[in-house]
Amino acid sequence: MARGRSNFGKDTGLQARMLLTMFLLGLLYVVFVGVLFAAGAGAGVIVVVAVVLLLLQLFASDKLALATMGVKEVTPAQEPELHGIVERLCVQADLPKPRVCVMETSMPNAFAMGRSQKSTTVCATRGILEILSPAELEGVMAHELTHVINRDVMVMTLAGFFATLASMILQFAFFFGGGFGGGYGRGREEEEDIMIVILVSALVYAISFLLLRALSRYREFAADRGSAVLTGKPSALASALIKISGTIERVPRQDLRAAEGMSAFFIVPAKAKNSMMNLFADHPPLEQRLAALQRLESQLQGTA
Amino acid sequence: MGLRDILTGRHEVKGPAPDRLFAIATAYVSLQAEHGIEPAGAAAIVFQALATSEFEATIKEMEEVVVATGKESGTTVATQDDSYGYRWMVLRNPSSGPSVEDLAVGVNAVSSSIETAGHGERLLCAVFAFKDAKGAPVYFIYNYKRGYWYPFVPSGAEQERSTERELQLKAQMGSELPIEPELERWFPLWGIPI
Repeated sequence: MARGRSNFGKDTGLQARMLLTMFLLGLLYVVFVGVLFAAGAGAGVIVVVAVVLLLLQLFASDKLALATMGVKEVTPAQEPELHGIVERLCVQADLPKPRVCVMETSMPNAFAMGRSQKSTTVCATRGILEILSPAELEGVMAHELTHVINRDVMVMTLAGFFATLASMILQFAFFFGGGFGGGYGRGREEEEDIMIVILVSALVYAISFLLLRALSRYREFAADRGSAVLTGKPSALASALIKISGTIERVPRQDLRAAEGMSAFFIVPAKAKNSMMNLFADHPPLEQRLAALQRLESQLQGTA
Repeated sequence: MGLRDILTGRHEVKGPAPDRLFAIATAYVSLQAEHGIEPAGAAAIVFQALATSEFEATIKEMEEVVVATGKESGTTVATQDDSYGYRWMVLRNPSSGPSVEDLAVGVNAVSSSIETAGHGERLLCAVFAFKDAKGAPVYFIYNYKRGYWYPFVPSGAEQERSTERELQLKAQMGSELPIEPELERWFPLWGIPI
C-alpha cells in the first residue's frame, strides 16, 4: 500500500536488543526468586515490603514527584501554544489529553509521568518553552507522549522491581549485620543461607543495574523513533536535542541538583555528561540519538 | 496495543478510521432547516505536511485534481501552513445550497489521495464551517483517527469556547452525525482560517 515510506521507522535491531535485555533481566530475576525461596523465612517479609513499595511507586510516585518539584498545571489560556501542540499530537496518536504542566526553571527539559494513558502528566520547563521553535517543541512533546503510549513508566518500574528488592536486602544486611531480625540461636547452616542470599542479592543488584540502564536507553531510542513517526519530522527532534544539550551544560548547579532525582524521566538527563559514564547513563549519548534520527530522516526522504 | 508492542516500544501511528465524513453531507440539511445554522461555504482539511519531495508532489497532484473537478461546482482551493506546522487546504464554495456536498466531495478527494499515497496517518481532521442565525461561527470537526464528528463553537473571546452551545448541538445532531462520545477528545482548533 505504501509508496515511499514502507520502511519508515522500522528498527528491528533495536527491538531485538530490547527483548534480549528483558529476557536477561527476567532470567536473572527467576534465579533470584529461586534463591530467596530456598533461603526461606526472613526473605518472605522483604518480598511483601517490596511489593507494597512497588504499588506505592506505581500509584503515588508521580504525584509525589510532581509535588516536590514545583510543577504546576497550566490552563490552555495560560499556555495556548503548548496546549495546542499537545492536543494535535493527541489527535494524531489517538490519545486522551494528558494534564499539561510547566516547571518554572530555566533548565530546558521535558518529561512525562503516569502509569497509564488515562492518568498522564506531561511537563515542559520554562527554559524549553523559551528556546525551542514550535516544530522542535512538538518533536519533544511527541517523544514524551511516546513514553506514555509505550507505557515506559510502568515497564521500567516493573523491570526494576527485583533490583529494588535486591537493594533492600543489601541494605537490611548492612543495618543488621547479616541477620534478618535478631539472629540469636541460629545454626551454622542458616548463617550460610543468609550469606548466600546477600551475595546473590549483591550480584543481582549489580547486573540488573546495568541491564536496566541498557533497557532505559533502548526505550529512549524507541521514544525518539515514535516521536519521528508521530510528527513526520525526525530532524525537528534532532535539532531540539542539539539545542537542549548545548544549553544544559551551562545551567547553574542549583537547578541541576534540584532536578537530579528526576533524570530518568527527562528527555535529556539532568546531569552534565561525562564520557566515562556512558555505560551507566539512562539516556543514550546524543551522537547516537542524532544518528538514529538521521537514519529515520533518510528513510522518510526515501534515500536510505 | 498489544503486550508485545508495549514490551518492544513499537508504536505505529494509527491510520484513518472507517470513513464517516459524508455524514455531514446529509446532516447539514437539518442543521439548516431545523436549527437555523447555515453553511458558511467553506471547509478545510488539516494534515501534517511531510518535508519530502514525494509528499509535496502528491499534494500538488491532488490540488490540481480538486481544482479541476471543482470547476463545474465553483469550488476554489487555497493552501496555508499554520503556526504549528500543519497544512490547511481550504476549499471554498460560495453557492449556498449543495455546497456542503461539493465540499465534502472535495475534502474526501484530498484525504483519499493522501491515503493512497500511503500517508493516511498524517491526516489530522477536516473542518466544516457554518454560521448561526446571528452570524457567529459554528464548526463541525471530523477526526480522521476516530471517525467521529464534534462541534466547536468559539465564543469570540480569546481561547474561549461555548461548551453550552456545543452540547446543545450534540443533542440536536446526535442522531444524524456520529458524534465523538468522549468529551475530552473535543479538541479545540484556535485560529481556524475559514
